Amino acid sequence: MLKIRNLKVSLEEEEKQILKGVDLTVEAGKVHAIMGPNGSGKSTLSYVLSGRDGYEVTDGSATLLDKDLLDMEPEERAASGLFLAFQYPVEIPGVGNMTFLRTAVNGQRKARGEEEMSAADFLKEVRAKAKILKIDADMLKRPVNVGFSGGEKKRNEILQMAMLEPKMCILDETDSGLDVDAMKLVAQGVNALRDEGRAFLVITHYQRLLDHIKPDVVHIMADGRIVKTGGPELALEVENNGYADILSEVM
Amino acid sequence: MALAQTKVTATQARLDAMSLPKIGWSSGARADAQTRVAAMGLPVRRDEYWKYTRPDELTSPNVKSAKASVQDNASIFGSLGCLSIVFEDGVFNAEKSDKLEGTDISLELLSEVNDLDIHWALSLYGALETKGQTPVDRPLAALNTAYAREGLLMHVKGTVAKPISLVYLQNSDNDDVMLHHVIKLDKGASATILESGPAGARCNIVMETEIEDGASLNHVRAQGRNHERRAATHLFARLNQESQFKSFTLTMNGALTRNEAFVEICGDDSVAHIAGASVGNGEFHHDDTVFIKHDALRGESRQVFKKVLRNGATGVFQGKILVKPGAQKTDGYQISQSLLLDDDSQFLAKPELEIYADDVVCSHGSTSGAIDEEAIFYLNTRGIPKLEATNLLTLAFLAEALSEVEDEDIAEVMERRLEDWLTRRL
Amino acid sequence: MSAIKDIDVKEGVDQETVDAVREVGGEYKYGWNTEIEMEYAPKGVNTDIVRLISDKNEEPEWMTEWRLAAFSRWENMQEPNWAMVSYPKIDFQDQYYYARPVSMIEKPKSIHDVDPKLLATYDKLGIPLKEQMILAGVEGAEDAPTTPRKVAVDAVFDSVSVGTTFKDELKKVGVIFCSISEAIREYPELVKKYLGSVVPVSDNYYATLNSAVFSDGSFVYIPPGVRCPMELSTYFRINAENTGQFERTLIIADKGSYVSYLEGCTAPKRDVAQLHAAVVEIVLEEDAEVKYSTVQNWFPGDEDGNGGIYNFVTKRADCRGDRSKVMWTQVETGSAVTWKYPSCILRGDDTQGEFYSIAIANNHQQADTGTKMVHLGKNTKSRIVSKGISAGVAQNTYRGLVSMHPKAKSSRNYTQCDSLLIGDKCGAHTVPYIEVKNNSSRVEHEATTSKVDDEQLFYCRQRGMDEEEAVALVVNGFCKDVLQALPMEFAMEAQQLVAISLEGSVG
Repeated sequence: MLKIRNLKVSLEEEEKQILKGVDLTVEAGKVHAIMGPNGSGKSTLSYVLSGRDGYEVTDGSATLLDKDLLDMEPEERAASGLFLAFQYPVEIPGVGNMTFLRTAVNGQRKARGEEEMSAADFLKEVRAKAKILKIDADMLKRPVNVGFSGGEKKRNEILQMAMLEPKMCILDETDSGLDVDAMKLVAQGVNALRDEGRAFLVITHYQRLLDHIKPDVVHIMADGRIVKTGGPELALEVENNGYADILSEVM
Repeated sequence: MALAQTKVTATQARLDAMSLPKIGWSSGARADAQTRVAAMGLPVRRDEYWKYTRPDELTSPNVKSAKASVQDNASIFGSLGCLSIVFEDGVFNAEKSDKLEGTDISLELLSEVNDLDIHWALSLYGALETKGQTPVDRPLAALNTAYAREGLLMHVKGTVAKPISLVYLQNSDNDDVMLHHVIKLDKGASATILESGPAGARCNIVMETEIEDGASLNHVRAQGRNHERRAATHLFARLNQESQFKSFTLTMNGALTRNEAFVEICGDDSVAHIAGASVGNGEFHHDDTVFIKHDALRGESRQVFKKVLRNGATGVFQGKILVKPGAQKTDGYQISQSLLLDDDSQFLAKPELEIYADDVVCSHGSTSGAIDEEAIFYLNTRGIPKLEATNLLTLAFLAEALSEVEDEDIAEVMERRLEDWLTRRL
Repeated sequence: MSAIKDIDVKEGVDQETVDAVREVGGEYKYGWNTEIEMEYAPKGVNTDIVRLISDKNEEPEWMTEWRLAAFSRWENMQEPNWAMVSYPKIDFQDQYYYARPVSMIEKPKSIHDVDPKLLATYDKLGIPLKEQMILAGVEGAEDAPTTPRKVAVDAVFDSVSVGTTFKDELKKVGVIFCSISEAIREYPELVKKYLGSVVPVSDNYYATLNSAVFSDGSFVYIPPGVRCPMELSTYFRINAENTGQFERTLIIADKGSYVSYLEGCTAPKRDVAQLHAAVVEIVLEEDAEVKYSTVQNWFPGDEDGNGGIYNFVTKRADCRGDRSKVMWTQVETGSAVTWKYPSCILRGDDTQGEFYSIAIANNHQQADTGTKMVHLGKNTKSRIVSKGISAGVAQNTYRGLVSMHPKAKSSRNYTQCDSLLIGDKCGAHTVPYIEVKNNSSRVEHEATTSKVDDEQLFYCRQRGMDEEEAVALVVNGFCKDVLQALPMEFAMEAQQLVAISLEGSVG
């Protein structure tokens, strides 16, 4: 599904290398987690993969289903099946949540040469999916993320994911700012989407989210590289001993 | 566009009534300035830039008399340990002044400059004023460049801690005073300049300021309390890289005041703040006309003006933020507010934005209204009598402008004077 | 005079033209690019032309005199130059002041004659209304009937009104809705009493010219206590080349009446600029309420700034009766140059004026628009919400006046003026005048200028929208407050227009 080879990335504005050669392969149907201390480059990885401005790829490659991701515009990556659940979803005043979702869904369909979804079908589907995430009608009508609580924003991200049905989902610190109940709800939404044809990359600082979204593989990232890879037990190790032990062991 | 004949005639009449001073190297700039005035014509009421203020009493050959008062001549900044430079009816008074000397600073008088001087101020005198004539004419400033016989030439070469205080005394009831100051701050230099006093029955004061890279100038002004005086002032400032200019003006009384500021941010990462608090009672017309031009990256500008008006007083604010093409990341802010204490007072404002760069954050706000009766009532119920409550709320209203004065001692002097005015007037 | 007599202007307009215009006007589609054979008066303006126009409209002598008086004033006036717009000097003698369809409508010979870009535009406008409503989150949209509400239309084609719909139905409740030329003939007392009473003949250069040469326009009278049973609408189209359009609209809302009035404008692509100088006067008696909405989509000129409409319009409402209320809403996306300040004279006590505006300037467009709120009566209220969007190398200026007169005690104004810049070659300007002459009134003015937020665009693109779509979405969000003030049909159309107007502004 997602193949990253020796990815090196610097900031455009200053000469600072953030990613120093990342190698990562995520297979279809699997959930990978990336853990690591602050500043290790986890979020940068998610931004570079989704095509945000401000980063310069100096070396390496990233492909999604064998298509070169780095060559595409952000919307092309989205249409190819890449979805990023943002750590800080942006507020867009005046733009209704429904309008936004519908434009996105049809934008992607159009890009893939598919037929647009009719208004009636769309409404039916949104309502059904929103219900699972406990997103009420009022929230759907409000402008995108404006005045949403932290939990509401994250649930809204998962609703978008459910509607867009991407192949490769990246969850960037989705647990940040969530209480236990909100986190369970979000995890439920994610777990409902797990299937054979879809892969997840869960970026998190803490292990607690991984109690609810069980990973197949856990990577530890530090200083712009993946320094250790293992099974779910690796996350527990971090939980119990912190990052220091692992880092001193590998570096 | 050709000038209207009436304007040409009036301007010529005024120019004919004066003689062009020949003072050393300034003579050339004066002749140029005289030509500028003739070409622009003196302002008339129909000029858009004078929409809200009648210029007649500032332009007429005859000066309306204004009774000089002893009380008014008391120096407001006396307690601050400044270097005082005193001008009496526009003439330098050596006796009342401190010695014109200090470390890292040179202080000279405009009236004493030589003929063949290769002087630092030669390239600035009238030059910043000329730049400030675009896009809007400021004929009174050009008139000043041509005819002002006195002023301070101040060159700051390092950090000067002691404030330089210009004191304008008024003894005659009929004098028409013109002063022209030129200030230059070398790279990394810093200074504080203060101005106070009525200066004359009518005064026209120009200050041209060049602020080099990394330099910083604080300017605080307390305009004279003489009820009858009329004043036109112009501040021209050019900011180079990472420099800073902060100016605050307190105006209490005066029949007519027009304070213009023209600030040009030409170096990246510079900061300009122009602020003012004015309180007026009765025959009081106060006009703040500010133009800030951003022509560099990441500039920050603030215009903060507050006016308290009563008993037929008029407050005017014309402010503009101009962001030139390419002046990206500009942060421009402008606020003008007036508190009308009774029904006869008026507030006239034209707060403008003119923006040619996209990556900017610019905003302005303007409000006008009466004192909040509910707040007064609330204070009453807490045992504060009406008069005091009004004072309290009025000071609170002015606070945003006053907070632009960085130096705490100076700010306190300002606040005390305001309190004093309020207790006497309200 | 002899030259004029030689011109044969056919009397009346044939049914086909009327039908075509009615169809287009009634449903607000832009898919109309029809060549129509026109009859013209000679180019230029003089007393003969003024008389000719008056004559063609079969006007009474007093009207002819009124026009001639206006013309003689105009001859001594100067074209204003204070707006932040620049354009080549207009030769007022190089325009046709009167043109009207002869008879047959010639369709474009083949599809190749129609600009493909124009076709694409129309295609986008042809989205079913119901779907749009659902997307915009309109409450109960799913259950809304598929047929639009009834709208009565007066269609003005170049110089003449070619048809007014639902006239009889309106007459039953006493509403008069007809062309102004008909009103001058049929209801001279009303016209005499009110014409020029809101916008005086000598108000400004363009209004004075309009007073002399206006050829047609709409007339509305709503009798006391009547709530107009349907929306009234004028559909303006400049079709003929080198023709100035000078229409005149007069709306009289008598005591306690209500009307919502819509105005739509389009013009075909021409590479020579055309002049449009309209005057709209609204009179509001006690307790009357008028909503006036405009979607102005005159041809803006091409990407290089050739052609387009010069839109110099004077619109003013006089709330002369106590408690009357007027609301102007405008979406200005077209025209090469816009010079327009719909104003409210709040003369009666407790009157209210509102102004909601979206002005989009792309490519070489220049817009200088805003409003005047003149508070004369006690307890008057006004609200201004202006959203300006600049893209390309366009200049967009908000210019406004809020004036609180000494007698306008306890009045209120709130003004919100926001500008959005797309690209670093355009300009956004704000020029408000605030004049407060009593202390019991409160005036608040706020303005901001910023660019389209990169974070928002990236978020939209990550979800699969292309850049243009993302910009359109964010800009529509920025305009929301104004779009909401429009009648539903117009809001949908305006939303689409916002997107279309910004095409080519990014990337």
